Amino acid sequence: MAPARLGQAPPETGRAPARSRRRASLLADYGPLGALVLLCLTFSVLSPQFATWGNLRNVLDSAAVLAVITVGLTFVLMLGAIDLSIEGVMATAALSVALLIANTRNDIDLGFLAIVAAVALGACFGLATGLLSTGLKIPSFMTTLGMSAIGIGIATVLFAGVQPSVTSPAMGEWASGQWFGLTRLTFVAIGVVIVGLLVQHYTRLGRYARAIGGAEDLALLSGIRVRRYKTIAFTFAGAVYGLAGVMVTIQLGSGIVQAGVGQNFAAITAAVVGGTLLSGGRGGVLHSIVGVLIVTVLVNGLVLIGVSPYVQGAVQGVIVVAAVAITAWPLRQRLRVVK
Amino acid sequence: MSVVDKVETTTEQREKLRMPRMSRRQLLLTIMPVAVLVCLVGAISIANPNFLRPASIWTVLDSSVPLLILALGAMLVILCGGIDLSVAALASMASVLVALWVPALEGWAVVLVVLVCALAGLIQGVVHVVAQIPSFLVTLGGLAVWSGIALVVSGAATIGVSGDTLAWTFTRLTGWNIPSAVLIGAAVVAVLGLVMLLTPVRRWLIAIGSNEPAALLAGVPVARTKIGAFIVSGACAGFAGVMLVGRTYSGAPTLADSLLLPVVAAIVVGGTAITGGFGGVGRTVIGVLIITVLRVGLSVAGVDPSYVQIFYGALVIAAVALTIDRSKLLFVK
Repeated sequence: MAPARLGQAPPETGRAPARSRRRASLLADYGPLGALVLLCLTFSVLSPQFATWGNLRNVLDSAAVLAVITVGLTFVLMLGAIDLSIEGVMATAALSVALLIANTRNDIDLGFLAIVAAVALGACFGLATGLLSTGLKIPSFMTTLGMSAIGIGIATVLFAGVQPSVTSPAMGEWASGQWFGLTRLTFVAIGVVIVGLLVQHYTRLGRYARAIGGAEDLALLSGIRVRRYKTIAFTFAGAVYGLAGVMVTIQLGSGIVQAGVGQNFAAITAAVVGGTLLSGGRGGVLHSIVGVLIVTVLVNGLVLIGVSPYVQGAVQGVIVVAAVAITAWPLRQRLRVVK
Repeated sequence: MSVVDKVETTTEQREKLRMPRMSRRQLLLTIMPVAVLVCLVGAISIANPNFLRPASIWTVLDSSVPLLILALGAMLVILCGGIDLSVAALASMASVLVALWVPALEGWAVVLVVLVCALAGLIQGVVHVVAQIPSFLVTLGGLAVWSGIALVVSGAATIGVSGDTLAWTFTRLTGWNIPSAVLIGAAVVAVLGLVMLLTPVRRWLIAIGSNEPAALLAGVPVARTKIGAFIVSGACAGFAGVMLVGRTYSGAPTLADSLLLPVVAAIVVGGTAITGGFGGVGRTVIGVLIITVLRVGLSVAGVDPSYVQIFYGALVIAAVALTIDRSKLLFVK
């Protein structure tokens, strides 16, 4: 499955004049933003409840967890890899934080350290994925599929049939407390987005991730330690998924195995719709956040106009395939190998 | 001229160097699964001698049939280098549709459901080939769409099936008490095996999986073969869904979802390379038997069922690491 990439960016020379190329890149950068605005306008017309201050807060609050996940996923996607392990990592993180903080199942109370432990556990998952993918040369979609099952399995073992409810009062405060009208978790998400942006722009990880995704052979030839930075990207992503698992546990007040159900696909949809190419080398945290808002607004708007919530997964499925088809359509070639 | 000669000599030398390594790898992939299966059966029969009695063997084979049918279809897609992640969701959708349609259409519901699932496979194949989107993404999107359809038409509820329209999928035939499901599974294996043996399809699939541009230039109908593989995969998923309904007397939108990982595990454990171009029907049968016997073995050994997921995950990663053809992967994404 090595060629599980959408092909490289089209050759720069002689193909398109500079102006049309610039126009294409403008479309890639601002197209999703335009789609978001259009989506908001459509729903405002269709539903009077959509364009209200309260609903805006709803949208932002419900985007928090997905935004955190997508920041992590973006770095993996920029490499040209994929991550299907989000549900497993989140499940393990959710169960472990619920069991390590003051809870109804045992007497352990590590307080804030429990959150650190869950995030570290997520990072361990990411590290394992990265080492397996780069060391044993297994395509990432296969490694992460296996990792997801392992994570869900560990979470099921930890769950052991009795749901651990968090009794720590501090956590309850975080779940219900608000700052400036938004839940505290929304500000955590904004913090993670800022950290993601800083990592993307000011660290080697961010720059090399894009370089590796754009042209891995060139990155290798120019002396970048490709394997190391791939592993670091997976580890960073794993830590972020761990934090997302913690956030879900805080929201629910208890640790469940299903903490991350549906989030994996929503995150891939968000990143792709936002303009992060699955082939790697393009996109970034800001692109993905626009994608997260598109997905959240879509879910919110569809509920408001009375569409069955069961349809939402199917809508995401269609959108992600359509978005990839649209962005990759110009790259089609008769002899291109796509597996 | 001399330059050309040099090139030819080096390629020849490389070929010579490579041949024994490649064939050793293929030999390993052929012997290993059989050896693993024999060892597993041996270990379990030592732990519990009752395992080798006809009754329990028939039960084990009987329980493996839905997995077998799913894996046979998905194997075709993997053989040409892609992957079909939607098979389990498609089987769930099929189970819901069968449960809904059996009261009105009786036996014709089965035919209709298999056709609908083949159509779903056709859509995925066409999107994959025409829009040139990686198969794992198309089928991941498909997975979401088929689950969504199953949820909507069933109202997220389990739908019971009464009557004996589907009794043929799950009875014991007189004489040696042979489960009908085993005969059906054997028939599917025989049909696919004969098609692979008597038509050029097998060579086309392997050519595409080994080197797609070369296959295209050699005149292999690449697009049609790939789409065909997706259609058969979809139809097999639909039929597996029918078999599951016959077993549980109900259809549910998540009935078969947990089968995705066992399917992939069975295919790769049987020795089919996830990189494509190497594999077959026989290997997949062996792989399915290994997974089924393992499941029985784990419960004989008293392993908590919660650990089974962890086990499948580790098994998939290990089997892919062993069977993957790294000479084909310049860059692992």
